[in-house]
Amino acid sequence: MGSSEKRSKDVMSDIPTFSAENLQNNLKVIQNSRTFLSIIAGVLAGIIGFTGLTGFVFYFVVMLITSVGLMAKAGFSADLYFDSWNRVLFDGFLGGLMSFVLFWTFAYDLVHIF
Amino acid sequence: MAEDLVLDTAIRDWVLIPLSVVMVLIGILRYFVSKLMRSSPAPDAKMVKEGQVIIRARNLKSGANFIPPRSFRTRRLYYSNEENGLLHVPKGQGTNPQAQMFSDPNMAMDMMKKNLSMIIPQTLTFGFVNFFFSGFVAAKIPFPLTQRFRSMLQNGIDLSTVDVSYVSSRSWYFLNLFGLRGLFSLILGDENAIDDTQRMMQMGGLGFDASKSLSAEKDGLDIIQHEWALPRFEQRAESVLRKLVK
Repeated sequence: MGSSEKRSKDVMSDIPTFSAENLQNNLKVIQNSRTFLSIIAGVLAGIIGFTGLTGFVFYFVVMLITSVGLMAKAGFSADLYFDSWNRVLFDGFLGGLMSFVLFWTFAYDLVHIF
Repeated sequence: MAEDLVLDTAIRDWVLIPLSVVMVLIGILRYFVSKLMRSSPAPDAKMVKEGQVIIRARNLKSGANFIPPRSFRTRRLYYSNEENGLLHVPKGQGTNPQAQMFSDPNMAMDMMKKNLSMIIPQTLTFGFVNFFFSGFVAAKIPFPLTQRFRSMLQNGIDLSTVDVSYVSSRSWYFLNLFGLRGLFSLILGDENAIDDTQRMMQMGGLGFDASKSLSAEKDGLDIIQHEWALPRFEQRAESVLRKLVK
């Protein structure tokens, strides 16, 4: 994940002090890494030859790993970089699904069907 | 479940792969063509002024807690006072954007350009795919689906005995159309993120009414509860420094 998050605020507690641009940038990084990984996961799932539910489970597992990776990148303190934890966990989850299905189908067809 | 179909490898080499590659390339082409055709609208002094005022008011709103109460009140008065505040719009002066749009031919031209740049490639691509790749069973989705999806996935072939998970080439085109969005946002950057649906929405909001957003900002400023943040910051700084010294 070539993600380079910037420090979006100083360590503060009570008032939210975010730099909007940095926050935007962080969200974009999340979005990009999720899309990227969903494409990779789709190709992988297709080549390995998952069918049916297994493939979707695979997608969820990959997304979970992504979440963990993103959290590790944020030093397990998402409050520093994002306005809520949900951002790290769920952003771009459904958007990636479409790409995943497409590339899954594509790779699966290329390798297994013909 | 019908028995498995055997698909010719030639279909893969001459339909599935070319179709996908063509979709990607056309997406890139569209991006650059629309970039070339985009004309930056000539800034209208009044519009720019209003926009800047709105931005300044917004900045004041978001940074309200970082300035002392007195300064905040002065600034708020400057923006929202009833006689000559910047955000105050006298009644009956707001221009009707709809009427303005029709009187200005440039605006209509711009809209048409946008519309065309959206519709023409779509139609062309669809025609292209229809002409070269119609009527193949091109792919198989690796998960089972119910009969309802037949019309969606097997557009272009009329065989009711084929298992639903087989995808016709025309439907593969549609799948590509939606699924490649993520890939485009990766390879073309953000600007492409504004895809067609969003562009459609923007068009709906084209007649943007400045006086409305001005008064909305004004209301927003009026209801802000000001709470100066700096006194607490001093305590925070103190505690941080103490920790450092320890």
